[in-house]
Amino acid sequence: MKEISLNILDIAENSVKAGATLTQILLEEKDSILTLSIVDDGCGMTPEILRGVVDPFYTTRTTRKVGMGLPLLKLACEQTGGEMTVTSVSDTVDPVHHGTSVTAVFHTDHIDFTPLGDVVSSIVTLIQGHPDTDFLFRHTKGESVVEMDTRELRQVLEDVPLNSYDVIKWIESYLREQYGDF
Amino acid sequence: MTVEKLLEHGFEAVTLPDPEREIDGVYIGDLLSWVMGRARSDNAWITIMSNMNVIAVATLADTSCVILAEGVTLPDDIRETAEAKGVNVLTTQLPAYEAAMVLSGLLK
Repeated sequence: MKEISLNILDIAENSVKAGATLTQILLEEKDSILTLSIVDDGCGMTPEILRGVVDPFYTTRTTRKVGMGLPLLKLACEQTGGEMTVTSVSDTVDPVHHGTSVTAVFHTDHIDFTPLGDVVSSIVTLIQGHPDTDFLFRHTKGESVVEMDTRELRQVLEDVPLNSYDVIKWIESYLREQYGDF
Repeated sequence: MTVEKLLEHGFEAVTLPDPEREIDGVYIGDLLSWVMGRARSDNAWITIMSNMNVIAVATLADTSCVILAEGVTLPDDIRETAEAKGVNVLTTQLPAYEAAMVLSGLLK
C-alpha cells in the first residue's frame, strides 16, 4: 500500500467480517516509532488458522486463493526495520473474551517508511460502511491526542444512524479539526 | 513469445513450471499492492522484490512470469512455492529499464 491508512482499512474490514462489536484502531507515535494496533472482539482465530495468517496464500475469502491484507502490512513494517505481531483468542476456546489483536511497529525515520496518509478518510469510510458496529479511534503523539468513539456518538444521536449524511460529515470535520492542533 | 524464449536472450531461469506461457506486454513495479491492481494478465512483471508476497501477487495478477532485475534471486523456500504455484520466475543482471528494452525488442 502506498499509505498505511489503506492498510488500516483492509485490516479493520477483517475485524468487521469477524463479527466484532467494537474495533479499536490505535496509533501511537513516540520519537521515530509509530505503533499501529487494531484490536477487535470478533470471533478470533484458532491457533491453526493464526499460524497461516501471514502466509499470502492463506485467506478467509473463498473467491481467491490468496489474502494479502496482513502479509502486506507485515512487509510494510518490516521494510522499515519494524515488526508485526498477531494474537488471537477464538470464541470456540473462550466464549466471553475472544478477538484478534494486530500490532505493527514502523520506524518512521527509515527511507522505506510509507506515509500514514489520510487516516481520517479511512475511519470515515469504515463507519459509513458499517454503521451498526462500533469503532474507537485514537492517535497519540506526545501530549497530542485525536480521538473518536462511536459508542459515545451513539448515546447522543439515539436513533439517528451513524451513516446518515450529516453525521458522517460531522465525524469527518470533527476528526480533521482535532488534527488541526495535532 | 513464450517465457522460455527469454532464456536465449540472457535471462536465467529461477523456476519455470509453465515455460510455454505467452508473454503479452511488460509491467514494472515494486510496490506490491500497486502491482496487484495494475499489472495485466500475461504481462511479464519486472521487479527487484523477492519475498513470498511476490509469488502471491503474480498469481493474483496472473502475470506470465516474474523477472527479477539487477541480479536478485529467490531464497529456496520461495522458489519452491513459485514452482508449486505454477509461477515462472527468471533473473537478469540488467536493471529494470534495460531488461524492459530487451523485451520491447523481442515483443515487436
